[in-house]
Formats: sequence, C-alpha cells, structure tokens
Amino acid sequence: MADTKTAPAVTLRTRKFMTNRLLSRKQFVLEVLHPGRANVSKADLKDKLAKMYEVKDSNCIFVFKFRTHFGGGKTTGFGLIYDNVEAAKKYEPKYRLIRVRSFCLLAYGLVSKFGSLGLISC
Amino acid sequence: MEGQEGPPRVCRDDAPKLLAALKEMKEGLDHVRGKVEALTRKVKKNQLPTSCGIGYLEAKHHLLLSYCQDIVYYLLRKAKGLSVDGHPVVRSLVEIRLFLEKIRPIDKKMEYQIQKLTNAADGAATQEKVLNAETKNKGRHQDDEDPLKYRPNPDMMDTKSDPAGQDNDGIYRPPKFMPATMDDDDKRLKQASRRDKALTRMATENPYIKEIIDDAADRPEEWKETAGDESREFTKYIRLREKQEKQEEELFTRAPLTKRDKQTEKRMRTQLHGLRGLTDGFDLGMNMLLDGDKDNDVGSREPHVKSGGRRKHQKGGNKRKRH
Repeated sequence: MADTKTAPAVTLRTRKFMTNRLLSRKQFVLEVLHPGRANVSKADLKDKLAKMYEVKDSNCIFVFKFRTHFGGGKTTGFGLIYDNVEAAKKYEPKYRLIRVRSFCLLAYGLVSKFGSLGLISC
Repeated sequence: MEGQEGPPRVCRDDAPKLLAALKEMKEGLDHVRGKVEALTRKVKKNQLPTSCGIGYLEAKHHLLLSYCQDIVYYLLRKAKGLSVDGHPVVRSLVEIRLFLEKIRPIDKKMEYQIQKLTNAADGAATQEKVLNAETKNKGRHQDDEDPLKYRPNPDMMDTKSDPAGQDNDGIYRPPKFMPATMDDDDKRLKQASRRDKALTRMATENPYIKEIIDDAADRPEEWKETAGDESREFTKYIRLREKQEKQEEELFTRAPLTKRDKQTEKRMRTQLHGLRGLTDGFDLGMNMLLDGDKDNDVGSREPHVKSGGRRKHQKGGNKRKRH
C-alpha cells in the first residue's frame, strides 16, 4: 500500500568485514533494515553498496543467502566485493555469475538460468 | 659550572668499575687467544680436519670473533677520547649482539645434538691413539654420555603392575593404588537438592502453580502484560534461531533448511495469536496436583509429549516388542 517513495528508508549495515587477499575480495555480513516494507531487491542492494564503498563497477559486488528475521523488518545475508571483474569471473561460482545477466552475455555463452543447466550437465 | 664538575666526578666513580671490566676483558681475550693459537697450530700441522664441520658453530665463532674485535676497537676509541657517535662500529656491535641474542634459543635446542656430535668426533679421534689411552678416554666419555643417552630405552620401562599377582586368565585387572570409597550419600544429597531446586523453579515460573501458591500465601494477584507471543515454544524457537544465525555469520555459510525447519517456521508465522502460551505450565501443574502425595521426581522433566511421532523413527519398534 505504501508508495516506495514514502516508505521509510532502508538501512544497510556491514559486519565482520574482512579483506580476503587470497581471493582478492572483501567479504562481510550484510544487515538490511527495512521496517514496514518487504525485502529489498538484490540490485538495489548492490547499488547502495557501490555507493557506500565507492566501487567503480557494480558487477564486482555479489550479495547472496539472504534470510529475513522473524517478524520482518530485518534481513541478513552475505556480501562480496571483488577487486576487479576478472577476479570475480575467476573465483565466483557459476550459479552466482548466471544470476547477473551481464555475465551471461560475456565469454561463457550461457544464455539463461534454465538453459545453462542443460549445457553444464552435458 | 655544574656541568663541568659533573663529568669528572662521574669518571672518578666509574673508574674502579672500569678497571675491573677492562681486566676481565683482557683475561678473557688472553684465554681466547691461547685457545685459538693452539687450534691454529693443530690445523697447520694437519691434525685437525676442519672441513665438514658444523656450519652453525662456524658461523657462531665468526660472530663472536667479530664481536670481540668491535668491542676492543670501541674501547680504544673511547680511551683515546675520540667520539663514538655515529661511528659504524657501534651499529655493528648492536647488530652482532642482536644476532647472538637471537641465536640463544636455537643454541639451547641444539645443545644436546652438538654435544653428542662433538663427543662422537672426539671418540673417533682418540681411536687413533694408544689402546690404554683409548679405553681411559672412552670410560670418561661414557660418564658424560649417560645423561646424553636419551634415545628410547624399552628395557627401562616401569611396569607398575606386579607380574606375580596377575591371575593367568587373561583378564586385565587394573592395579590398586589408592583406597576409594563407595559413597552413595553424595548422590542422594545431589538428587535431593535438584528436586528442591526444581520445585522452587516451578513455583515461580509455572503460572498455574504460582497462582495457587500466591493465593495460599495471601499475596496480591499478579498481572502480566505481554505484547506478542511469549510462549515457551516460541521463545525456545527464537533462541535457537538466533544461535544458528550467529554461527552462520561466523562461518560465512548457511545451513540448509530442512523440511522440519520449514514446517516449524510456517507454524510460527501463521499462528501469531497471543494465546499460544496460555496452557504452558498446565500439564505439569496438573500432574503435581493430582499425584501430589507420591514422591516422584516431578520437577526434573516435562511429561513425555510427542511419543507417537518419535516411534516413527525407531527401527522396527513394534516388531521388537513381540519378541
């Protein structure tokens, strides 16, 4: 019922921030506070993170495994920010790369979530 | 003025100490020189082969010698009144000192091995001499070597059990060392205290019994305002979930959600009325009231619920009973 414009602001908090030099990325636990509205989409979260951490390419950011706490209003998940897109392509598991459409059109040749499953199995 | 008087007075105080230190140094250096000259004489006569030595010891000798040289040079400069500030000798003194300090723990660890090797080398060298001298040396070395004989020696193993006392029926009987008392009082006391604690816990937490006791003690009635679900089931669920969340964050993974977990979550979400906790202490309270005179261990455990569900997972439960 509430407009997205008039809904209360979404707050992002990162915890357990760690720089993983071996995989050239920064990893953290991401806490999203969104009182009064349903879950925030991953694309929105990526944009907000890019602004927060001054990342040039939001393709290097991956957020996953979100779970909403009981009663709503707070969602916790994990986030990774890679140093560059090459590192992301190298280290990220394929299913997470497929979720980001722009990767699919690049070197892999994987078309869609469901099409790729067939390709991988054969 | 005061400054001018200062240094001479300090010098006068320090003079005897300085003399003592210098004397000690000279003695040490003379000693070292004597040893080094003896060794060099032997090497020149080709009596001491110096190849294939312990590299570590060679490095240590070099360090010590350069340290001695540096110290002598430093004292020379000081004695002649030349300034030592910023001179490379100070830096090299400090460096060598640092190295020696760092080597010290390695030294301690290697001490046993080095002792063994040097003794072995000495033993090998004396084998070329006369037989009497050889045996004499060997005897002396064996006294040194006994503490050095640290290799495992199964003959020295102390069998604590008395071999004569063992029955020969192959059963292991542990040896009896200390007298042990078989004392049941502790257990009874512990059980009694546990029962008391359980009863006090029930009196305060179980709402039904609390009401009865408060009524009997003429205490005013207690009203509690709760917002949301305060049932035992729910609080337990929340506590478990929080613990799991903390673990998951720690390990940066998520545990997979089983069907049972999904069902409980769905149940929690759909039954969001506040009435779930109403009957929380009811069955326990009723049990106590009805079997009040029997000396049961009432407070230790909740009455067994969900037994029908549990039996599903036992293997051949019904069939076993038939036998």
